[in-house]
Amino acid sequence: MTGLTGVLIAQIVVAIALASIFFIRPSVTVSPTGKVLAFLGLCVLPALSLIGGMNTHIQRSEQTRFCISCHAMAPYGRSLYVDDPSYIPAAHFQNHRVPANSACYTCHADYSIYGPLKDKLQGLKRIYMQYVTTPPNPIRIPGGYNNNQCLHCHEGARDFEENPIHSAIMSTLTSNQMSCISSGCHDTIHNVAALNHVKFWSPGQ
Amino acid sequence: MTFRNLGIRWFLRISSALIILGLLVEIVSLLWFHPLSFVLFAFVGATLIGSGILVYLVSLVLVATSPTGNGGRIGPVR
Repeated sequence: MTGLTGVLIAQIVVAIALASIFFIRPSVTVSPTGKVLAFLGLCVLPALSLIGGMNTHIQRSEQTRFCISCHAMAPYGRSLYVDDPSYIPAAHFQNHRVPANSACYTCHADYSIYGPLKDKLQGLKRIYMQYVTTPPNPIRIPGGYNNNQCLHCHEGARDFEENPIHSAIMSTLTSNQMSCISSGCHDTIHNVAALNHVKFWSPGQ
Repeated sequence: MTFRNLGIRWFLRISSALIILGLLVEIVSLLWFHPLSFVLFAFVGATLIGSGILVYLVSLVLVATSPTGNGGRIGPVR
């Protein structure tokens, strides 16, 4: 639990205490002070708690450990520790090319204007598949992996732009005509089917 | 019987009960680190809290439009 979550919980407890007063003795609202307190306890504080809760849950859903807490995602979490630099997600995660605590989100977020909303709806769909239907095995990204998720960081980077292969096909990469990960260039991704036959890196060793 | 006849106190009790329940659900969802905690918060907690706030606001409207202006003093709940 982070400090901000603790503050939010304290605020919620205060809101519950205030709301309890109006549940036990609604006649308190007869006085002007009671009316102000009722407005605070039954409107302002609950609304703030709602906004704070939504914000906390959205931030939490961007964390790597949140993503891999789903049973179907566990092998994808394990693949981040594969001791082989040809595994693109593992190399990014282990070398902190992406923030380690939000690795999944950094590479899988939709960076368009309504992207965060689309991501959350997609997440709810996956939860539905996990608990109501059956999640596909292996998990597939609807519409395929978008190059923009790589280019969000790599585009404009010197070593990426000056690479002769990249510069020769740059327009096909930016227009998404050629995939970064499934065109034979960087095609070793999570590869969860092979996890039983690979060596794992253990942090601190 | 109209809603107004029920009295603002009845509305306040319903509103506060919904809000208390919703906030308790929110605390559980914040302490539970699991993908389902978001579902619990968004579909149960937020609905209860939102409904509680709405009932409270409706009670304010009813008091404001009460012909005697004493909508807060009538009703079966004392």
